[in-house]
Amino acid sequence: MLVKTDSNIIRKSESKGLKMESIPISKNSASKNGKIKLDSPVKQSPVQDTPISAERTIVRAEGFTFFYGSKKGVEDITMNIETGSVTAIIGPSGCGKSTFLRSINRMNDLIPQTRTEGLLSVGGQDVYHKSTNLVNLRQQVGMVFQRPNPFAKSIYDNVTYGPKLQGIRNKAKLDEIVEKCLIDAAIWEEVKDDLNKSALALSGGQQQRLCIARTLATKPKMVLMDEPCSALDPLATARIEDLIAALKGIYTIVVVTHNMQQAARVSDRTAFFCLGKLIEYGMTDRLFTNPRQKETEDYITGRFG
Amino acid sequence: MQVRIRQAWNHLFTILSSGSIVLLVAALLLFLIPMLRKGIPAVVFRGTVEFRKMQAELFDRGDTMALQKETEQTWQARQEIYTILDHFSRGIDTEKLTDEAKDLYRDYGQILRYQETPKEQYTELRGRAKEIRDHLLDAFESTDKDEIAAHLDAIEALRDEAAFSGTPVEKMFTMTGDFRKLIATVDLSKRDIFADELEVVKEELYNLFGPRPDEQTPQLAMKRFGATRWDVAEKHLTFLVWQEKWIPSDDGQTLVAKQVRRDDPLEGSFAGTELAPLFSLTEKILKDTMKPRFTLYWQYFIDDSTPGHYFGGVGPEVLGTLLLTLLAMCFSIPLGVISAAYLVEYAGDNLIVKIIRICINTLAGVPSIVYGLFGMAFFVAYITKQPGVLSASMTLALLVLPVIIRASEEAIRAVPQTYREAAMGLGAGKFRSFLTVTLPAAGPGILTGIILSLSRAAGETAPILFAGAAALAPIPDFGGKWWLQETRALSYGCYDITVGDKLAMMVPHKQFGMVMTLIILVLCLNVIAIVIRSRMSKKLRGM
Repeated sequence: MLVKTDSNIIRKSESKGLKMESIPISKNSASKNGKIKLDSPVKQSPVQDTPISAERTIVRAEGFTFFYGSKKGVEDITMNIETGSVTAIIGPSGCGKSTFLRSINRMNDLIPQTRTEGLLSVGGQDVYHKSTNLVNLRQQVGMVFQRPNPFAKSIYDNVTYGPKLQGIRNKAKLDEIVEKCLIDAAIWEEVKDDLNKSALALSGGQQQRLCIARTLATKPKMVLMDEPCSALDPLATARIEDLIAALKGIYTIVVVTHNMQQAARVSDRTAFFCLGKLIEYGMTDRLFTNPRQKETEDYITGRFG
Repeated sequence: MQVRIRQAWNHLFTILSSGSIVLLVAALLLFLIPMLRKGIPAVVFRGTVEFRKMQAELFDRGDTMALQKETEQTWQARQEIYTILDHFSRGIDTEKLTDEAKDLYRDYGQILRYQETPKEQYTELRGRAKEIRDHLLDAFESTDKDEIAAHLDAIEALRDEAAFSGTPVEKMFTMTGDFRKLIATVDLSKRDIFADELEVVKEELYNLFGPRPDEQTPQLAMKRFGATRWDVAEKHLTFLVWQEKWIPSDDGQTLVAKQVRRDDPLEGSFAGTELAPLFSLTEKILKDTMKPRFTLYWQYFIDDSTPGHYFGGVGPEVLGTLLLTLLAMCFSIPLGVISAAYLVEYAGDNLIVKIIRICINTLAGVPSIVYGLFGMAFFVAYITKQPGVLSASMTLALLVLPVIIRASEEAIRAVPQTYREAAMGLGAGKFRSFLTVTLPAAGPGILTGIILSLSRAAGETAPILFAGAAALAPIPDFGGKWWLQETRALSYGCYDITVGDKLAMMVPHKQFGMVMTLIILVLCLNVIAIVIRSRMSKKLRGM
């Protein structure tokens, strides 16, 4: 116990040192348009067990801190996410896991008076660089929300919303996208006969899968899922989990979840956040069977408040 | 015990809330029923033959042959009344007799000149004719029966069959004879009183029956027809038969008004005269002279009216109200929704935005007459340079703008944030996500604001008072600059009739007909909006 507490203190001081370094590095490595060289050395998190090579990295966070006004949402996150993998983020409520997830495609912009420090890049593009094209970013990094939120439009229109924003107007092409995405999201069989029905007439689980299909329609590199199953029953949850497993490899998926069994079932790597900090990040099997940090152990064994 | 009390509270709440709904419906009916009861007679009433004449002449409607037959029948019935009137008025209306005598003398002079009578003979005959005329005029003017007799005798003395046979002078002799017979029954001392009263009787008969067939068609359309409605006819009949007499009160200190019949044997002005039978006769045969018939005048809603709203419908008023309302909506909806969108989506929460919000809330409570004066002082004076549809509708738009902004703001704010997140997550910009996701979702709420303001814009009088409404404005000329023309409006027309003059008393159906039309119009507009809204929200709810 005592030893672990010590290492925690050591980690803190290390990360502080890292932060001092990481800011100038990110500034140097970022060119004028916010591009970061993909082969530049990746800062590995000190709490990470298996390093990810530069070419396998899609998301790089180096000393990333997010402020709501003067309050820190997440603090000093250094974490890399591997292309094509499923990464789960777990942690107690208010620990900043959603803040971090939403920072990746800048959904936090909707909240006034926020600012960031440190580096966060997706696919070699600095997310918070002023030249970043938000439309491109969000189309590359799709998002699925906690509650199913289909638009009050037909199923067809829901799926084609993104492609239409990209300027695709060709009816045949749109039809093709709709079919492909609905098949990918494992909902095609259920809705293929009434694509013109309102999306709100679907059940919650179907709506969530439709939202995933809608996200896939913009052809993203990544899909961020913010507690995608918390509003669903176990059956619908199982379907979504199957879907995540099926999408793995094609898309990089980051899942925020409160459900540790779910994290264990679907993810390759798991990150544990607590009080705005990244406590532990590693292979899911290892993290759940042999946590290195005391907080992680407390949390996954249920001793944590 | 506690459960009991809680249940009692529950029941009380249920009773109170359902009771208030019942009360609301009752109040609505209480408000609507009298309006409709008074307004419906504008459309459903007993139309007289005059109404059918008016419809044929002004609007080209109805069966001409049947109408002609009807007109003849009624004129025959009316003839009886006119015979009595004419006979009596000859003795009273000396001005007419005087004119007649003068005309006859002038005609005679012309005839003499035409026949190229030798000068001496001409002078002589003309002199005699002049003498006869002067005697006649003196006789007409006099109120002393002896003096009149003397003048008439003098004329008789001048009678010369040989010289005047077949000339206008002979007619003068006939007049002399008639007049002698007439004054035998007339109390000459009352001639002045009779003359005044007779004017009233003639006017009321005119109001009942319109101009006589041999009379020239009057210029005013209002004067061209008698009472077109049975209720109006009955009203005029009352004015014809009853007179107001001022008699000393019981204590003899003051005078009090008393309604008496004009042919009342004791107090009536025409008691015992030759005119007396006219009143009961008119009462008796009024139905034959007017031929009332149940009429459904649905064209009331589209017909033009004669100047002064006396006859016809409220078509131009309906058109004007629709124009003003819809145009006002065209201005205020985009402006209001854009403002609301700005306030919710773009503006932060700083001091200026707070002040703007306070201003909007205050504007919603400003009395409408203030908007009217502003419309006159700004839109009329600086933008359109003349009162018209455009300035009036801009004023109305300004009036309803705060309502629309507030309702839209609430509706846009009520759209779940997840909708915006979803749209943005798919790469939509702020404007795009507002236009394609937020606005459709806020649609029903915005429409609620529109419904509220639609009714208000349609019914307001004060804002358009100075900005472009006129009681007798021309019908909009859609080929030209109709937006610069003044227009009629239901609300303003109703106001105008009410404050206008005695017209409100004579055509109450018109006044309430306008109110009814306004209610129906607003109801129709609202029903359309409500149907659109329910379709929208059904679609939003995924049904």
